[in-house]
Amino acid sequence: MKAILRVIEHDFRNFFRYRWFIVGLIAMNLADLFISAIVFTQMTSIVDYFQFFAPGLVVLGLFASAFMIGREINMEIRREIHHYMLSLPMTRTELAVGRVLAGGLRGMLYMTPLLITTFIVLHRFPTLPQLSLILLSLLLLAIGISGVSISIAVSTTSFEKFVTARGVVYYMFFFCSSVFYPLSIIKVLETKGLWPLVTFAQINPLTNGSDLIRSFLLGPPEYVFSPLMLLNVAIFSGIFAFIATFAYSKILLRH
Amino acid sequence: MGLKKLWLVVERDFRMFIQYKFMLVMRGIWFVSQVALFGLVVNRMVQTAAAEVGISYFQYYVAGVTIITLYSTAMFIGYDIFEEAEHGVFEYLLTLPVSRRELVLGRSIGGGLRSFVYVGPLLLIVLFILGVSNPLYLLVALASLFIFAFGVSGMSITLAVAMKSGDKYDILIGVLDALIVRLSTTMYPIVYMQKAMPAYATVAGFNPLTYASDLFRWGTGVEGYIPINPVMGVLGLFMFFFAFTFVGVVFYERRLEGGSWQ
Repeated sequence: MKAILRVIEHDFRNFFRYRWFIVGLIAMNLADLFISAIVFTQMTSIVDYFQFFAPGLVVLGLFASAFMIGREINMEIRREIHHYMLSLPMTRTELAVGRVLAGGLRGMLYMTPLLITTFIVLHRFPTLPQLSLILLSLLLLAIGISGVSISIAVSTTSFEKFVTARGVVYYMFFFCSSVFYPLSIIKVLETKGLWPLVTFAQINPLTNGSDLIRSFLLGPPEYVFSPLMLLNVAIFSGIFAFIATFAYSKILLRH
Repeated sequence: MGLKKLWLVVERDFRMFIQYKFMLVMRGIWFVSQVALFGLVVNRMVQTAAAEVGISYFQYYVAGVTIITLYSTAMFIGYDIFEEAEHGVFEYLLTLPVSRRELVLGRSIGGGLRSFVYVGPLLLIVLFILGVSNPLYLLVALASLFIFAFGVSGMSITLAVAMKSGDKYDILIGVLDALIVRLSTTMYPIVYMQKAMPAYATVAGFNPLTYASDLFRWGTGVEGYIPINPVMGVLGLFMFFFAFTFVGVVFYERRLEGGSWQ
């Protein structure tokens, strides 16, 4: 446990070294909320887009910041720093688990101000049990995302490939989810024969994460909390945390 | 300045670009996902608004996403510059029998040209979707996009040589991308930006992406009326192209000397 905490501490220190990256992320997230969302609010009468998008933005920010760990691991591989990491007095599994958890926790740290901003701009605050459920689901989501990111980072040797793969994963998860638009509207794709995308959107952990926040902030009839949302995120997290731990400890030795 | 040498530099950048098979395929998938997912779904969400401005949002967005793709592929030359610095290819480039200016100008042209060639097939698909009402207008629009791609490539080189870290460059590109795309008419008509926040519409009025996307829509005939005068749009893109191509050339040329990229 101590070794894992050391790894988490190391990654947290690194996180603050990338302050420019964080500034960049904040700029992108705020641009999405205060430019795109405000303009789209003028264009649609189906939903109050600003209210709808704000919880989605929390998940968006969480995704991007939890994904940062992969960028660092990919850089370590390219600059051969991973040899040093592997030489540390701890087991490969401890190192891998520490990094997956660190990625997730860093995502939580970044997401917290966005979540508070959402509460403030929507003028809606969850109860304590609701807040606990939101934080639990977001933590699980962040660990899963960190796992996806690490799996990609150790499987790609060049920065260009990593950036491209990251882009594809980003867009697949973002656009096929209810982060940007309600699930009821995504279902229009079924009529165009794109039902696999609709199915993916329904099981997408980003859909469940953002709809869970909406269920507590915007409420019924559109958004109703279901324990299945939490279960979905937990399954995603479990699968990718395992894959990343395995991939990090095995694939890294081949480089 | 030897045209043959300039062409050799352009050709090298083309060959480099083709090597990024993985990236090219992925960008294509990204484009398709933008059109087939975001475009179709949001079209459903904003039908009333689209009817108000007289076009389908899907058509509007398809044209916009083409410009975003052109912009992002032209920006890729900056990553090449960082990869070369990281792997020691800069030193090799400096030993080539081409002048610094030929090298730099060639890279700027290569960066723009290759992105235009890459977007070419996507452009054909988009033209098939949108249709063409006036071939002459379309020709003017395509020529403007050509200039736009060179300008973006020059901007990418300028930013890349102004920064020492590839990470910082990646971040800056992300921020710039967030602002330049969102504060343009690639994703939404200017009339809604004006309604949302007049300042956004003002900024969009000076954005080269606005000029490029509005001219492209005008060229295809999908948007009969464009908020900017086409002549002003073309002029704006020319100014953007000249400013960044020449600033990029001067910056890159200076940085090549004395190993300051290291």
